[in-house]
Amino acid sequence: MFEQADLLRLIEGDCSPEEAAAIQAWIAADPRRGELLDQLRAVWRLTGETTRDWDITESRRRLERAKPALELVAPRRRWWTSPWATPVAAAIALLMAGSLLWFPRRGDAPYAYTTARGQLSSLALPDGSRVLLGVDTRLRVPRDYGARTRTVDLEGEAYFVVEYDAKRPFIVRTEYGSTQDLGTEFAVRAYRQEPTVEVVVAEGRVALRGLKGSDPVLVTLHPRERAVLDSGGGATILRDVPLANYLAWTRGALMFDDAPLARVIAQLERWYDLEIETDDAAMADERVTISFMTKSADEAVKALAQVLDVHATRTGRLVRFVPARSRH
Amino acid sequence: MSEPSRHAFPAVQAGSTADPTQHTWESAFQTHYVGLCEYVLRFVGSVGAAEDLVHDLFLRLWDLRARRGSMELTRSYLYVAARNRALKYLRHRRVAAAWIERAAREEPPTASSPEDLYLRRELADAVARAIADLPTRCREVFVLRRHQQLSYHEIAARVGVSLGTVKSQMWRATVLLKGKLAPYLFIL
Repeated sequence: MFEQADLLRLIEGDCSPEEAAAIQAWIAADPRRGELLDQLRAVWRLTGETTRDWDITESRRRLERAKPALELVAPRRRWWTSPWATPVAAAIALLMAGSLLWFPRRGDAPYAYTTARGQLSSLALPDGSRVLLGVDTRLRVPRDYGARTRTVDLEGEAYFVVEYDAKRPFIVRTEYGSTQDLGTEFAVRAYRQEPTVEVVVAEGRVALRGLKGSDPVLVTLHPRERAVLDSGGGATILRDVPLANYLAWTRGALMFDDAPLARVIAQLERWYDLEIETDDAAMADERVTISFMTKSADEAVKALAQVLDVHATRTGRLVRFVPARSRH
Repeated sequence: MSEPSRHAFPAVQAGSTADPTQHTWESAFQTHYVGLCEYVLRFVGSVGAAEDLVHDLFLRLWDLRARRGSMELTRSYLYVAARNRALKYLRHRRVAAAWIERAAREEPPTASSPEDLYLRRELADAVARAIADLPTRCREVFVLRRHQQLSYHEIAARVGVSLGTVKSQMWRATVLLKGKLAPYLFIL
């Protein structure tokens, strides 16, 4: 009735429910068929974790139709469900790319990994490199990542642990320049609302250059060095910086050492999903040394208000700092 | 506070909304939809049925959420719920009892740890070599199916062979790989 090759159809899900039931009965009738099925499935698992390109977008739409009351947020593209969640498949795809055939995939749009305010995420790339995404951040990874190059685009903040490969340099492109890995762990901060891009190296080295691959290397950074790139293409280098401060966010904390208040506020807004207003323009010039390790937005706001010696009021997401003297 | 150590991401939480184990309905859907479909497919063998079952599960979770407020949609909760639905479906369709018993033993796929990733990379080497050693036509079909995820019809059109040939080459590739990868088949 059935033959062994039908087991593949069952594994791939290419059966109608009736056929599937018939094949399942056929398998159940002879333990050797079940054994063969297990082996074939193991081959399947080793060569890629998904059997097909599941249409998550369509499924999301269908749920929407079934339940109009669903409060919808804009469906994100394949968040975590890209084939990248499947390292073996991806690693193989990579190896294959080098040695065998490589066809452009249907749809060349890059994978976009995003975090909301208050949200951190980590992801593993198919070459073994790993990325920790900071809050309110967007990382684009091209579909052919690793085939020839490893170039990603960053808006926001991320910490990279890169598997070095001289033949396929790992490059982070940001608004004002690109950072090329030379065997490294480093963090890049490139929020659109900020006038600069910052790079801090924890281990190894990175090379900074303009946005084009042909641009000359501006500077090579070593551990404990931090560069600030501005829109004019200039770079300021600071040596022997306190890594713990700049990388505190990777451990779920925020630390500021003599930092401009505006920077502290911008980061609190992203971290705790707040809108913070200050009435007093003079306050913006203050410099603050403070750290936040709390999950509670209220506690964080309170701590900052104390340091600034101001009064804080909060209504939902909106926080206002009012100079203490105005509270007669 | 110590500096970051190599190859060790700390467990991170930012602000109040970042606990990665507590999914909202939306993030649970985005994170686990594909994995749950694959898992349920192993029980039911039909893509349409698998999609329907996972769809119904998420609808149900939405209702529950509306009634009870936020709930903990953990990974294990989702997989157990999906399995229960799949088994109920099989019983309802009067699928062979021996198959249901077998399906009930299916473990949910494990989340990959860094150690797994390391092992997997070694494994990936072996797998890539095995695939590279396949006869040309066989390899071409297999790669298009497994890595490009083209349908059999699309492969037939692209390679310029009949649908029957695509199917037989897929079967041949799988059997050859089973032989070559025998030592690795059940280590993950």
